[in-house]
Amino acid sequence: MTDYSSGLLLGAFTGLLLLVSTQAEAARPYINDKKAPENRHDLEVIQKHLTETLPVARKATVCIDLGEGSGSGVVVSADGLILTAAHVTGGVGKEFTVIFEDGKKVKAESLGLVSTTDCAMARITDHGTWPFVEIDRDDSAKLGDWVYSLGHSGGFDKERGVNVRLGRLVQVKDDTVQSDCSLIGGDSGGPLFDLNGKLIGIHSRVGQRTQENMHVPVREFLKNWEALQKSDFVGEGPFAKKPQKGKGFLGIGTEPRAEGGLSIDKVGRESPAEKAGLKSGDILLKMDGVDLKSKEQFQDLLKEKAPDDRVALELLRDGKTETLTLRLGER
Amino acid sequence: MNAKSIAALVLLATGMATAAQTLETAYRTNGTAVQAAFEPVRVALQDCSAVIQRGRKEIAYGTVMSADGFILTKASEIGDASGITVTVGEKVFPDPELVSTDPAWDVALLKIPATDLKPAPLALDQPDPARGTWVIANGATTRTQRRIQVGIIASTAREIPHAGGPVLGVTFEEKSKKLIVTEVAEKSGAATAGVEKDDVLLLADGEKITSTEVLGELVNKHHVGDQMALTVERKGTKMELKVELKGRVDVFGEELTRNDVMSGRFSERRSGFPRVIQHDIIADRQRIGGPVLDLDGRCLGMNIARANRCETFAIPASDLKSIADRLMSQAK
Repeated sequence: MTDYSSGLLLGAFTGLLLLVSTQAEAARPYINDKKAPENRHDLEVIQKHLTETLPVARKATVCIDLGEGSGSGVVVSADGLILTAAHVTGGVGKEFTVIFEDGKKVKAESLGLVSTTDCAMARITDHGTWPFVEIDRDDSAKLGDWVYSLGHSGGFDKERGVNVRLGRLVQVKDDTVQSDCSLIGGDSGGPLFDLNGKLIGIHSRVGQRTQENMHVPVREFLKNWEALQKSDFVGEGPFAKKPQKGKGFLGIGTEPRAEGGLSIDKVGRESPAEKAGLKSGDILLKMDGVDLKSKEQFQDLLKEKAPDDRVALELLRDGKTETLTLRLGER
Repeated sequence: MNAKSIAALVLLATGMATAAQTLETAYRTNGTAVQAAFEPVRVALQDCSAVIQRGRKEIAYGTVMSADGFILTKASEIGDASGITVTVGEKVFPDPELVSTDPAWDVALLKIPATDLKPAPLALDQPDPARGTWVIANGATTRTQRRIQVGIIASTAREIPHAGGPVLGVTFEEKSKKLIVTEVAEKSGAATAGVEKDDVLLLADGEKITSTEVLGELVNKHHVGDQMALTVERKGTKMELKVELKGRVDVFGEELTRNDVMSGRFSERRSGFPRVIQHDIIADRQRIGGPVLDLDGRCLGMNIARANRCETFAIPASDLKSIADRLMSQAK
């Protein structure tokens, strides 16, 4: 590996000063400024910091259960904002189950993501107040700092609980930090903490060698916070693929109706339409506020939609109008 | 969408040429500079650990359990113990006696002719070590020196069930309500009990075997490690056999998951342990079997499996004591 001049690194850090907050901070553990622990006391200091901050960190670390796979994430606000990896949520507006270490399951949906650096945000949609961790807003993590990783490796396991691994920051770059806390599938999206229990990164990917464990630094999240909260899909990959227009799937067959609107004559099994409760015999009046006049016009409207887009359908059923909002599937 | 790609971490080559600052190897968690702070524990480990070799190749480590030469190790890594040597400290003991094994824990008891070994000081009568507790175990070794690897307790102590459930370990064909053995898996309990190709399976646990489903149900009533009474017919003669049911994965192997592929040299037998503590030291499978020490040099357990890239299992000290007591009393 190449060593770069400290001048370059300083350059990289200068930009980050913008993010510095003014609130009082827990002191930086002295052990981080030693090249290596020298004696038993130093080792105990590392262990003490870790074990004292671990309970809060564990409570806020969640398994993101996607049904056919899983990742991890961490709650960062009492109202349930979750930070995770873009390749875990895979898109905007996806619904999934979140499992806390004690086994409590809640519903959540993904908000925005940055597909170029593997950042993603999600939100718990169940009502409640949730355990959360503080973010290292000062961006104080430095090369060589002692850190620990948490994750639901290989999926949720109540008997085992969340896995913790200790390491140091072994490489620091603008958009990636590397630690020697070993990671494995299922850890993706899980949190990396400093010795004060502050969140400094989110697990992203590994290399073949066990010391190659990559995390997205929290500064990437802070930089993109607004876009993430607004459910934007930022960038063109490689960590998530933008849904393609025209691939949205509803799953109904319709016939035009003389009085206006379209009459549903078929509802596909297991289709998004069926799951949303559409029935044969319902009359579709509007989609997203637009009057439906012909099959062709309806298809043209749908062609503008991508998988996971929400559509609002106004329909006439038993003489009454009602509006259903549903999310399209993938064709 | 490909679900597997979500579960697994994205594998990417590293070392892209952007501004980066890198920590020298010596200062990484298992670098020499950091390990130097553990020197007193390394010295303790030097005494109570054993290196087991076949020829010049290390095949496992061992844990010294008594001054007079009883050593515990991982049974499945040493096979019949033929042609092996045991090194404790700097002394090499050729051809140790394989006293007995405990299949449930995958532990073997070896005996070497020694008199003043220092047994691993077991940490007994205390709760399981908490997450975040420093642990120290064998790393590489030289002829004279044990090196260490360090890590922390990673999760809650628990049972690791056998992957795949119990099996007889035979394949058969069903012909007019009779099951005829077509193959006996080499590592199966059926092979050990002497089941042969072309045997007809008549009774299991005294119940008549009329179909594959019936046999499956009978086997599934058992746990891995149980004995099953099996009556077979061979060339017109009925024979009664006792077959040990082993874990499906142990007998037939397993398909590698993506997590396995990124996990390097994990232990072949890595499931089916009554109770383990778990830590994050990455020890290759040929370095399993040695003691796991804490900062006081007390033995928290004995490594029993490298499970994957980031999980290593150890038998807790209290269980290790009862296993050792039982196996050693059988020896005397």
